[in-house]
Amino acid sequence: MNNLQKFTTQIRSRLVLLILINNLLFIADWLIMEEVFQLTGYWFFLGLLIVPVLTLTLLPWLSTSYLVQPTKLIWQAVLHIAPDTSNVPAPDLKKARLGKDLVESLVSHVYQLASVAEDVAKTATKEQANLDHDFVANSIPLPLVILDKDDTIVFANQAAAQYIRHERQDLLGQSIYSVIDMAFTNQQTFDVWLKDAKAHKAVASQTWERVKLNLPDTELSKQPQFDLAAYYNRNNPDGHETMLVLFDHTNQYAQDDQSMSFVALAVHELRTPLTLLRGYIEAFEDELAGKVDPELEDFMKKMAVAAAQLSTFVNTILNVSRIENDQLSIQLHRESWQDILRSVVDTMHARAEVRGIQLSLEMPDKLPAVGVDRTSITEVLNNLIDNAIKYSGSSNKIIIKTYINNDGQVETTVQDFGVGIPDSATTHIFEKFYRNHRNRAQVGGTGLGLYLAKVMVGAHGGHIWVRSKEGEGTTFGFTVMPYSQLAADSKTSDNGSVEIVRNAHGWIKNHSMYRR
Amino acid sequence: MDTHTTPATSPIGKKILCIEDEHFISELYVRALTRAGYDVTVEVDGQRGLELAQTNQYDIVLLDLMIPSITGIEVLRHLRNPAETPKLKAKVIITTNLEQRDDIREDIEKQADGYIVKAEITPHELVALVDSIR
Repeated sequence: MNNLQKFTTQIRSRLVLLILINNLLFIADWLIMEEVFQLTGYWFFLGLLIVPVLTLTLLPWLSTSYLVQPTKLIWQAVLHIAPDTSNVPAPDLKKARLGKDLVESLVSHVYQLASVAEDVAKTATKEQANLDHDFVANSIPLPLVILDKDDTIVFANQAAAQYIRHERQDLLGQSIYSVIDMAFTNQQTFDVWLKDAKAHKAVASQTWERVKLNLPDTELSKQPQFDLAAYYNRNNPDGHETMLVLFDHTNQYAQDDQSMSFVALAVHELRTPLTLLRGYIEAFEDELAGKVDPELEDFMKKMAVAAAQLSTFVNTILNVSRIENDQLSIQLHRESWQDILRSVVDTMHARAEVRGIQLSLEMPDKLPAVGVDRTSITEVLNNLIDNAIKYSGSSNKIIIKTYINNDGQVETTVQDFGVGIPDSATTHIFEKFYRNHRNRAQVGGTGLGLYLAKVMVGAHGGHIWVRSKEGEGTTFGFTVMPYSQLAADSKTSDNGSVEIVRNAHGWIKNHSMYRR
Repeated sequence: MDTHTTPATSPIGKKILCIEDEHFISELYVRALTRAGYDVTVEVDGQRGLELAQTNQYDIVLLDLMIPSITGIEVLRHLRNPAETPKLKAKVIITTNLEQRDDIREDIEKQADGYIVKAEITPHELVALVDSIR
């Protein structure tokens, strides 16, 4: 009210001042006409009229623009916050010539009201989407957690709270990373994926298998294990940006682990004798080549192939065991994909030949350098080709192709023309220990090769797929990243001045660091 | 791995010290490397291997990690210490079968010139890798 009184007084005093000035002007005019110009009669009255005419035109114009200006500023403030006229700029309150305090206080009230209105609207939508009142979300036995844009938990159902051993109300408002410690089997983890999705995608989803929960005060072997599904939806109107669903598989995975660690232990002991066996077979081949009965030479070749196959098997088992124990580490380096493919096809050639199968390799002249762990990705290729050989049936051709796909990734396919896989099986084929039951009797295998391939490819930031038709054959495909993209993403690089020569299972540095 | 690549330099007369206590492995390596033209010496003991490497001018040292008296990683550290081994010309290639602890792996990556997993490599492939050393 004070401001209003001040404003009224200001207007009143200014009006009085104006009228006073006006009257003074009139008197001055009278005096000037009479004394200075000494006008009389007709001319005197005409001269006297100048002031009223001037004041009648100027005074209303001046006084209204002066008096209306504060109203204009307030009007502008209202339009500024009104929903449909947001292009109106905020009023500049320094411009207020009259009743500055009143204008300032009124405008600030306008703004306050607007923010109250906004809050009310927000609360209304929140109320609408409140999952706490959702019977289904709350009573579904699947652990379900929802995060907002800052990865803060905005909802967790009872099952989730129980699963991660927290009180439900304690979870709300916490960062997901501070309450759940998850161990993934590959480098593409939830936080990395989410960060990537936030940077590049509006909507994304991904599933991880065999995620381990690290609960405090719990033995490693008793930690819950689950498959984790994550769905991301940027700018979800309810603020529910990410949804996590946990599918518990603790019993199943723990059992697998137990049998795996025993097998791994046993298999580890096979490594040295197997290495020696392969070495001595190689020595035999060296010494006897061209000197013995061709049949014996053929036997020798078959022995070498069998030993190499056994070696792949041993490596597969050990790698799966490393994955289970979170010990698999891969290091991505700049490599020539053509080199890797050629060297794999060279080694696998003998294996295919024994079965009367021809391997053909089709690749473009130019491919970007890729970022891969040579040992691991070689095993993926070995496994896929080995698989194609096993399931080729009576067909005698396997085609390995590589090209740049639409996403700019280097994609490689291994195609056989054998028995194929029924539709019902393709969805499970990358699961651990999964094998197509109908073929189990005829074809050997661990049921681990494709699982390993999937994990390894995933760890490289790529994906693996299968397409198959029964009786016509199967195509497996997977992607790896161009090194340039990987380097931009993670800044992994070799020391630039050092050339590193690799084959599948070793490396040599060529540099002059230790030489003088 | 293509085993018929032309060596970067001719291996004729290049001297290799193979510190390895597993007899069968060293037998296979010596045979393959000798056939490829290298002059190979075998030593089974870590301490004696270190002394040999320090007093003789080898071109390449193949160093197993699990060896008697002192371990391969200790041999590597002594060889890379300029105070103890002032003028080492040899390239040191680790040959092993075991997973390494992180600190050891870091040392190997920094100080060794090569790393070979014995169980995953045949003698021919070893020769190809050794041939690639300049």
